[in-house]
Amino acid sequence: MSGAVAGVDIGSTTAKCVLLGEDSRILGKSLNPVGVDIVKDAERALEAALADAHLSRSEVSFIAGTGYGRYKVYFGQLIVTEISCHARGANFLFPGTRVVIDIGGQDTKAIRVNDKGEVVDFAMNDKCAAGTGRFLDVCANALGFDVAEIGPLSLQARRAVKITSTCTVFAESEVTSYVSRGKDPKDILAGLHASIANRTLSLMQRVGVEPEITFTGGVSQNEGMVQALHRRLGAPVNVSPLSQYLGALGAALHGRERLSGGAT
Amino acid sequence: MSGVALAPSPPGGAPPAFLRDARALQRKLVEEYYGQLASTETPRRPVAYMLVGGNLTEILRSFGYDVVFPEIVALNCAIKHQSLDNILHAESMGYGLDVCGYVKNDLGLQDLGGKTSFGQIPRPDLLVCSFSGCYIYVKWWEALSESYGAPLFMFDVPYMRDETPRKEDIDYLVSQLWELIHLLEKRTGRSFDMDQLKRVLAESRRAEDGWVEYLRAGRSRPSPIEAYFESIFYMFPINVLRGTPEAADFYEVVNAEVRARVRDGNYPLPEEKYRVLVEGVPPYTNYRTFWDFFRKWGAVSVVATYPKVGGLFDRGFRHDPSRPLESIAEYSLGAYVNQSWPLRRKIIADYVKEYQVDAAIVHGIKSCRSFTAGQGDLRDWLIHEKGLPTLYIESDHQDPRYFAPAQIKNRMDAFFESLEQRRAVAARAGAVPA
Repeated sequence: MSGAVAGVDIGSTTAKCVLLGEDSRILGKSLNPVGVDIVKDAERALEAALADAHLSRSEVSFIAGTGYGRYKVYFGQLIVTEISCHARGANFLFPGTRVVIDIGGQDTKAIRVNDKGEVVDFAMNDKCAAGTGRFLDVCANALGFDVAEIGPLSLQARRAVKITSTCTVFAESEVTSYVSRGKDPKDILAGLHASIANRTLSLMQRVGVEPEITFTGGVSQNEGMVQALHRRLGAPVNVSPLSQYLGALGAALHGRERLSGGAT
Repeated sequence: MSGVALAPSPPGGAPPAFLRDARALQRKLVEEYYGQLASTETPRRPVAYMLVGGNLTEILRSFGYDVVFPEIVALNCAIKHQSLDNILHAESMGYGLDVCGYVKNDLGLQDLGGKTSFGQIPRPDLLVCSFSGCYIYVKWWEALSESYGAPLFMFDVPYMRDETPRKEDIDYLVSQLWELIHLLEKRTGRSFDMDQLKRVLAESRRAEDGWVEYLRAGRSRPSPIEAYFESIFYMFPINVLRGTPEAADFYEVVNAEVRARVRDGNYPLPEEKYRVLVEGVPPYTNYRTFWDFFRKWGAVSVVATYPKVGGLFDRGFRHDPSRPLESIAEYSLGAYVNQSWPLRRKIIADYVKEYQVDAAIVHGIKSCRSFTAGQGDLRDWLIHEKGLPTLYIESDHQDPRYFAPAQIKNRMDAFFESLEQRRAVAARAGAVPA
């Protein structure tokens, strides 16, 4: 039997799975949108990652679930919050990480970690979606763009507008108002990204800002957001093509540790 | 305080433990209390509305008043999932989203006629605003006074700036107590009977001794009591019935059961993994769900600040029949939320030591400023100055719309995961676990 372990991260908008080999090499991964049947989404995420890795289910020794839907990963042997998983995943890719910023579909987290990737402190947005991926979705929609387009467009701005609302609903109204005043959509987009960067910084300040800073979650794939955070923090942020998978990767690492009799 | 719903079974665990006889007796006392309030006897006893913090129940009781505590009525509605209709009604009256949930729940209820599933709440003949530290509370009492046309007595209680009450503050409060006494004499036609008040205070003192014995049981390891989730039920007699023999007798039943728990090894959880201090008002609308979030991790609240809102008896205060009015004044000054933040921090730091606390959980209330303002700084202070792992979470005490179970559970799971990890690392290193 292969010593593969799987981490399944069921987030609010996407399901991710990472398969990790005995040598901690990533064997396969998957990413799919989540629907209303989270149990099936979790199964599909695992199946897709197995297909990517050319492995069969029987070759997986251990499965760990994380994310908001973690309790629906019924086929797993371990459940860990995505806070612990992003911390561990960020430490794996960037061992110097001291603060993780995770901006997902419906929440934003600032996680302070130690040199072992253990959570020291964390802060999250509350029940509202301000400053999250959903915030960008709504505003992109108001401007008639696909969410994948808005990051690069924001980098073409000449003079970013100031978005004062942090509430998603009010910000959408503000965007509409700027459009009606003839503002360049690229300037509006830059303002939106700056607004999220401001909000993220205030969240980070609650746990203490300390380099290195690693950016994870779906929004980390938005280059405009990466640059906005860089400007606001006055320091670079670590990102990787795998950043969106760090929750699943962290779950797999916790799984590996548990399998080897460790402390997870 | 009188929730009667069956406890949900948490994952893999038994239902929440309660002191069985004490809980049954508490229910009986609550039912009798609301039964008396709903009494249609004529002439009925006069009714005064009062706030819990620093309340003057003994004086009102000595004049034959029935005392209604609208905060307690509100929390009873909330724990029975009846608060939202009242809150929505208050909002339709014009009260904003960010107004205190107690206030909106009560004002909505009053405007709807005061009928609850646990009894009819009588109209007030007198409003005694016994805690002036919260501006919204003052406005609440003014609104009730205007609505019912009942007189309002404002008891102006200065904040506690020092650990020992100042003489000028005591004198100021005693002078107001005499004003209240003269008002009560005028309204009831009865003469003030100091000997009667002393007898009532002696009963108060007996109840206070019993309540403190119960609270201090949390110092034992493992703790035989659940100092937050269980204690909110046993607060009723000390806050509402203080001064009656029934209240004092109640704590004898409670403490006998606590002793039996220790004797039989029957603790709130089979294994006490984390000894937790809880600061803040409970989310009454979801309190059992919230409790399950603790239990899942083997966390027992061994000490909590919320049960002290009616008085810091465990810090040594007792009503004193030999100094009746002075001790009532000291009591009013000593309400927990009447303490300055440096004093609140000192109390909490003392609790951390005395109760061998592993971690703190601070529950902030979105619509409350008197209890909640400053709790963010408290969290930072506990983490950075005291080295105590501390989690801050927020919802509401009355409004179920603000309780987001998935988010709160996520935070709590992550918090306890990190504690578990620290313990494992410390154990591997041969250090004493945090």
